[in-house]
Amino acid sequence: MRLHISHNTTYRYDTPPATVTQILRLTPRNHDGQHVVRWRVELSEDCILHEHEDAYGNLTHTFTADGPLNELVITVSGEVDTQDTHGIVRNAVERFPPQFFLRETDLTKPDAAIRDLAAELRDAGDPATLPLLHRLLARLHRDIVFDVAPTSPTTTASEAFALKRGVCQDIAHIFLSASRLLGIPARYIGGHLARSDDALQQEAGHAWIEAHVPDLGWVSFDPANGISATDAYVRVAVGLDYLGASPVRGSRIGGAGEALKVAVAVAQSRQQIQD
Amino acid sequence: MLSRTADNLYWLSRYVERAEYLARIIEATQRLTALPLAYVGETNEWEGAIATAGCAAAFAEHHKEATESAVIDFLAFSRDNPSSIRSCLEQARSNARAVRTALTMEMWDSINGMWLELRRYGDGATSREELARFLRWVQESSLRYDGSAYRTMLRNDAYWFSRVGVYVERADNTARILDVKYHVLLPDNERVGGPLDYFQWSAILRSVSALTSYHWVYRDNLKPWLIADLLIMREEMPRSLASCYEAIVRNLDAIGNAYGRVGPAQRKARSIRTGLQNSKIDAVFQRGLHEFIGGFIRDNNQLNNAINQQFLS
Repeated sequence: MRLHISHNTTYRYDTPPATVTQILRLTPRNHDGQHVVRWRVELSEDCILHEHEDAYGNLTHTFTADGPLNELVITVSGEVDTQDTHGIVRNAVERFPPQFFLRETDLTKPDAAIRDLAAELRDAGDPATLPLLHRLLARLHRDIVFDVAPTSPTTTASEAFALKRGVCQDIAHIFLSASRLLGIPARYIGGHLARSDDALQQEAGHAWIEAHVPDLGWVSFDPANGISATDAYVRVAVGLDYLGASPVRGSRIGGAGEALKVAVAVAQSRQQIQD
Repeated sequence: MLSRTADNLYWLSRYVERAEYLARIIEATQRLTALPLAYVGETNEWEGAIATAGCAAAFAEHHKEATESAVIDFLAFSRDNPSSIRSCLEQARSNARAVRTALTMEMWDSINGMWLELRRYGDGATSREELARFLRWVQESSLRYDGSAYRTMLRNDAYWFSRVGVYVERADNTARILDVKYHVLLPDNERVGGPLDYFQWSAILRSVSALTSYHWVYRDNLKPWLIADLLIMREEMPRSLASCYEAIVRNLDAIGNAYGRVGPAQRKARSIRTGLQNSKIDAVFQRGLHEFIGGFIRDNNQLNNAINQQFLS
């Protein structure tokens, strides 16, 4: 599938800041299931964009824009050719051994409720890794209601689990927390999804997870949709949690009243036959 | 476009590229054998040249010992060797004749001129000087062919197939140079970094015209892992594996766009390129350079087969 992606991030400031420094994780890399045909990062201000690779192997761009700025717009757009690999991620950038992704973070720290969930799922049937992950996937997809209202980017896995509500990011954090409790390395993935309902405009990117299964390697699970990633998914950044893979992070000197607006459009471009 | 035409164009480019590569190997080997024995030790560089050219078995059928004259004759002028410079250029010309209408005037002139000139050399070069002239001439002819294709061909499937041929062959050649240098020529008892290595490694770099580029990129003296990095991972180095695969993917994508379909050849090429982009030279050394190169040569052959199945037959 050839996906055309555009991702706009707009900051508006009531009081203009003197300088803004940001790090962008907005550029996907290739693996066996996706091939980046072209990709551009553009800024509304004149500044130098430095390309680096972070510890996880994500491509990052950093810049410092000199103000005063009323507005800052970051536009990324590009085309990616994808294939359905049944959720198995091969040939991706690997900078750490899988065991590294057993680490807990502040956002994925389990509480008693998540421990109970993990214990219950472990005893519920086949103890092998893959069936266990599928039980966890099905359970979270069923129990957690997708709702943008009650959570924020700083909501932890246990808070979202107690609410039984959240966005894809929260559900992913709960999955990571439970999976690591069960001794299965798991990592957070930020990216894009071409929705089957053809909703072109989206208010944010998508998030899902990858878990390490013996003999298969990294396998993706999207608990918000209850499936493994298909050719409608474009994988952009990897991390231990949202903070490690977040699309834009930064700081500013001066300024106040920052308002952030994100617009994402993912569409299938021109038909191309995949033999 | 007929599969047969695409096949001819693809192999025409491969033959010309291979002829140039053989000329480069012979030159590099001559340079090594010209060094005092105290530097290079007791190894037989000419055996290495045969191995790098990938025709050790065919050579053994015709010759008992890898002497300088036997190897030069076999690699450059022999009619018994299907991939000698002579055979490559003759094959290239017969492919070019079959697709004469798909070539531009300049390309045909360069190929035909090459073939006419080749006959002047008869059964071989009579002196070292003449051989040196011959080797330079082969490389210049390849440059002329390459340049005329680049400057005069219409950018359509004919051009893309001929480019893919060049880069598949070039990637194979660079990989073979790396492989042989590690496992035939580096003696076990020699400490890495000794004078022998210096000459061996600079010979590798010279054989792919990369000695100056090396110093520009690294600003350091010759180190094997940096040389491997330059020839495997660096996209800015025109004969590196990464750069060849960047070009293969680009040209196969152009074919895919023009035909509106993507198949196993594109997927294989993308997968190999992704592997090169996503790995680092330290990781390659940890797993073993020999295994990595062996895997790469196999992958490259599989790509050749995939291209064959998807387009050329």
